[in-house]
Amino acid sequence: MSFDATAQNLVTVYCVYASASVGLTVWLARTLSKNGEVFLDDVFVENPRMAPAVNRLLVVGFYLLNLGYAFVTLKAGADALTPVQAMETLAAKLGALLLSLGVIHFGNLYLFHRIRRRAQIRLAPPPVRPQMHHPEPGSGQVYSGSQGAFG
Amino acid sequence: MDTALWLSNVEARADEKFARARYPRTLAILFDPSCALCRRCVHWMQHQASYVPLSFMPCTGEQARARYGDIPWLGDELVVVSDAGEVWVGPAGFLTCLWALEEYREWSFRLAGPAFAPLAERFFLALSHRRRALAFLFEPKCKDGTCSLGR
Repeated sequence: MSFDATAQNLVTVYCVYASASVGLTVWLARTLSKNGEVFLDDVFVENPRMAPAVNRLLVVGFYLLNLGYAFVTLKAGADALTPVQAMETLAAKLGALLLSLGVIHFGNLYLFHRIRRRAQIRLAPPPVRPQMHHPEPGSGQVYSGSQGAFG
Repeated sequence: MDTALWLSNVEARADEKFARARYPRTLAILFDPSCALCRRCVHWMQHQASYVPLSFMPCTGEQARARYGDIPWLGDELVVVSDAGEVWVGPAGFLTCLWALEEYREWSFRLAGPAFAPLAERFFLALSHRRRALAFLFEPKCKDGTCSLGR
């Protein structure tokens, strides 16, 4: 195997890997921001301008994390001497990248879920129904909006 | 999309959400002042961040008897009364206390859910009935559970 052919293999691996990682990251980030906005709108009802801001910041973090990781793992070195090795190296790298993107993506979804849940819980009535109503001077309101496990 | 329209949509949804949410604005917690464990729990609650203002009243005090004397469980069980006159007693009272605390509201829903409710109910009942014996556990010299536990 000549030096030129090896270099050719490496360059091919790098080109495919770089374009795939950038493309995937951009596509995922766009998907995340488009669909995450729905969650965030629901969370920041009190301050609607927060939703796009938080969304934007999350996406920037996503880009930084993913592209940084993708470029750090770019180096293939001596693993791509023959065309077969080059294919294998490319597949292993793309696989690792996809797996880590998947983990980060689900982490992001969990984050959205947590943010939304915290906001919802702030407005929730107590989880149990009151046992009786005690008339107090000055407040005749009877509250009746709860679903309880007890009583 | 038109920003003004979007903002007004979000604001409308926010108004609707706040109008729907009916929850107690304040809670009065009637505890047993002759039980060391109860006093310690009250002390602990006073140092937690809460979603609604809490007032603590010894259930044998004059104020408590004058205002809430007709609640049949007063003195036997933990009693929690909201500004609207809802009364939670025993296990439901414990869960309402958790609901009021910022750190533990999520736990109040978890414990009131189908998985934990039977267990939680039994646990809080047992805790309440053995409250004096439990003070003895914390401080062996405290025979009748009415001493003051270290804070």
